[in-house]
Amino acid sequence: MRRFFFPGYYSSPASKRTILLNIPPVEPGTVGPCPVAPDALQGIKRQQTNPARWNGAGWEPFVATLRAAGLDLAEGAAACGVYLTDAGGTACGLPHGVVLARSAGQIALLLKAAQAHRVPVTVRGGGLTTEGESVAFGGVLLDMTGMSRVLAIDAAALTVRTEAGIYWHSLAEELRRKNLDYLSAPLNLTSSVGGTLGVGGIDVNSARLGCSADQALSLQVVTPTGDVVECSDDENPELFQRVILGYGQFGIITEATLRLRPYTPLAMHYFYYSSLRTAIEDLQMLDRNDASDYSGILTIMDCAVNLLVAFDSAEREAAFRANWKSRLRGHGELGFGLCMAGHYALRPWKLREALYLLQRKRAVFPEFRRAEYMRDGKMHDRTVVFSRAVWKHWGSRNMVIPDLAMPADRFVEAVERGNAVCRKYFSHYTLYCVGIRLRPEHRPHYEMSCIPPGAEGWVYGCEFEPMIEGGVYSRDHFQAFKNAIYDIGLDLGGSYYRFGGMMKGYIRRVFGDELVERHLAMKRRADPAMILNRDVIF
Amino acid sequence: MPAFLAKVPAAPRDYSACSGCSLCLLVCPMWRSSHDPVFTPEGLAKALQCGATASELAAPIAACSLCGACDPVCPERIDLSGMIMDLRRRLANALPSDSPRPALLDELHARLQQGAPATAPVASRSVPVLLPGPVLRSDPALMAQVQALLGIAVFDDDGDDIALAIEVGVEIPQQRLHAFLDSLRGHSIVAADGLLLRQLRRWLPGSQRMGLGPALSTRAAVRSNLAPSDLYVIEPRAFHGDYERMVGYYDRLQRETGCSLSLDLQRIAIPASSSGLEHRLGLVPKRDVLRGVADDDVQARWLLQGRTPARIVVESLADRAAFGRVCDLPVVYLAELGEDPEMMKKFRHAFG
Repeated sequence: MRRFFFPGYYSSPASKRTILLNIPPVEPGTVGPCPVAPDALQGIKRQQTNPARWNGAGWEPFVATLRAAGLDLAEGAAACGVYLTDAGGTACGLPHGVVLARSAGQIALLLKAAQAHRVPVTVRGGGLTTEGESVAFGGVLLDMTGMSRVLAIDAAALTVRTEAGIYWHSLAEELRRKNLDYLSAPLNLTSSVGGTLGVGGIDVNSARLGCSADQALSLQVVTPTGDVVECSDDENPELFQRVILGYGQFGIITEATLRLRPYTPLAMHYFYYSSLRTAIEDLQMLDRNDASDYSGILTIMDCAVNLLVAFDSAEREAAFRANWKSRLRGHGELGFGLCMAGHYALRPWKLREALYLLQRKRAVFPEFRRAEYMRDGKMHDRTVVFSRAVWKHWGSRNMVIPDLAMPADRFVEAVERGNAVCRKYFSHYTLYCVGIRLRPEHRPHYEMSCIPPGAEGWVYGCEFEPMIEGGVYSRDHFQAFKNAIYDIGLDLGGSYYRFGGMMKGYIRRVFGDELVERHLAMKRRADPAMILNRDVIF
Repeated sequence: MPAFLAKVPAAPRDYSACSGCSLCLLVCPMWRSSHDPVFTPEGLAKALQCGATASELAAPIAACSLCGACDPVCPERIDLSGMIMDLRRRLANALPSDSPRPALLDELHARLQQGAPATAPVASRSVPVLLPGPVLRSDPALMAQVQALLGIAVFDDDGDDIALAIEVGVEIPQQRLHAFLDSLRGHSIVAADGLLLRQLRRWLPGSQRMGLGPALSTRAAVRSNLAPSDLYVIEPRAFHGDYERMVGYYDRLQRETGCSLSLDLQRIAIPASSSGLEHRLGLVPKRDVLRGVADDDVQARWLLQGRTPARIVVESLADRAAFGRVCDLPVVYLAELGEDPEMMKKFRHAFG
């Protein structure tokens, strides 16, 4: 395997700071040199990897306007440093200043001033993007986590009104005290509600309940020109359609009303496969037949494929045992261990792979059974368990997670081809597959999103996550890997969850010029100075 | 066994390992009251990665209550509270010697230089000893009750000057530290101060140590008076300083007594108060003291939100005041549960 070193880049915080602060300013409308690395989008006609840093023209009068209006804006390394990069860690940029969101009125004021002074505003929730979508390359970084209050819980109607900067986990902490839960959210403790509604969000129950954005009933949105507007399927439906899954282009979600459900702990079942195809076929069989409440696939490369199935109630679990369990072709942990032992005993040249699997099993499996998160054999908070395990065993300073979102019938082929790409580029990796049930009434939301055009019934998503494991890879290597995965999506007619930021070169190729131009025209009308999250999609 | 299969705890890492996952933020009382990422361990680590200096970060460094909730949740195993204590030391060392200092610091320096107070000899090295700390020591009746419940000797030199020095970032003279540690060697230690306990774990790795809360809650007289309608508020520093062991201990306590615990969904102890360094040193102007009280109220209110306990049982005396400000519920110090049979009868009658 070829690895590239990137001399000096990670040598010390001081040198990093020097590099970042020496980013050359670039005139608007021109394309400057990439501040981090040479252009790396192999095979794509593209002029830059990171957006050029905004040149700062008009910053001082803009700041003066804000401060005169009593709006706090912080500058300097202590205030801005935390926003240097996103969860991906490959796009680095610093804002000129940071505003902590406190109210819709404050954000409206900010956006009005930003339009007038043509200052870019980058919005950040949990910062869990991986392609630099929530990284500010100059201008203002608006941190939405400042708006993290739960406003009202209606236990009878099973709804909650919350500020949109709140983390799903913080929302869960409040809901759980009333024995309630949200419908679905990313299995990451620090995903924010607003950020998730803006891109979709998947959970291991998405094959039943749809993507996380589908649970939004209504939103308060601050438009790019600073109007505070309420929207839903009935009120300002066009804005609602564009903001949900809109990648932050058409407004900032400041409040959301979400559907809830009674809280239940999960009864988990794990089945182990040595074949991706078999596991995916079984996953899709369960989803088609509504045989489980939760389902998903998590792998150690393509050697150990874990199909997880879980239930909210004893009745559903009993029905699964009676009707579906025997149809699954996976093994229990012991049976699979014996199969693997036999497999590797006959293939001694694969000893290294076998040792890796063993090491991984010892490290990861106990995380899903930690006594403090289990009661009477049931998992009490899936997000806590999964997210802690993910950050502990997958997280690192750099993460690239290209993904494919495919119609059900092309999913197996997409995953098998993506798996081959992973094997080519990295020693170790993980795949995470989950289904998303489409809601026909939400079809307008899905336009130009992670839901592939024309998909019916279910869409299946697969994330391809290499294990960085302290290795140092060049951005060329990462980018070539991502491109190879995304090319599969183009070939098979899929879409992507992460098509913004550094991957936006694929947008026109996936959605076509006509659709992109229509959205661009809408964006120009909504955001005349093109200041809001300006380098994410357009 | 191959090295990679051995379960050896990895050494803690420093701020440069922070990957920005924000898990520490979710449990941080500074963040709960400010909703400002700069006031979080992650904010400090990221700012340091960008070259910020300790003096630029003075406000969040001082605001931290050192509850230690961030330490067990960090997936990168960064010693986050250690990082903040180190930053406090850097800040303290950077102060010019002629700069005005709070009286408490001058007094602390003098005590540390003076050395150990005269200590009454404890009969045997194997006898367990109690380090009660200044708050418990200031209430002789309660301390006698604690002593009676635990049946152990009180150590005259309980290291409260050392505990304060650790908290405020003052260098501890080697002579003072060695005298203190030497006097403790061989004893089983019960300490009221969770921060001191955490440090003793490092300084005396072979010794047996326990927080005062767990020590008291092992007593049958105390445990039998815990009721399912109680909210049991854990002292967070000792809990997080020995998380893996303590989370199992308190789960058992909950199973056996039915009381609810002050733990969040990540099984991290929610601190009932969040006072930082300035309050500790009595440095804050009046209006900020009021703000600090409000900050404490945020934590206590959050602990009670959506819960309907009949009684609050606290391991730390400092938490009594925080709850007293935000609710009318009876707030009982753990040792008081084993105190008065008449009172116990009353509690049993009131709470079933």
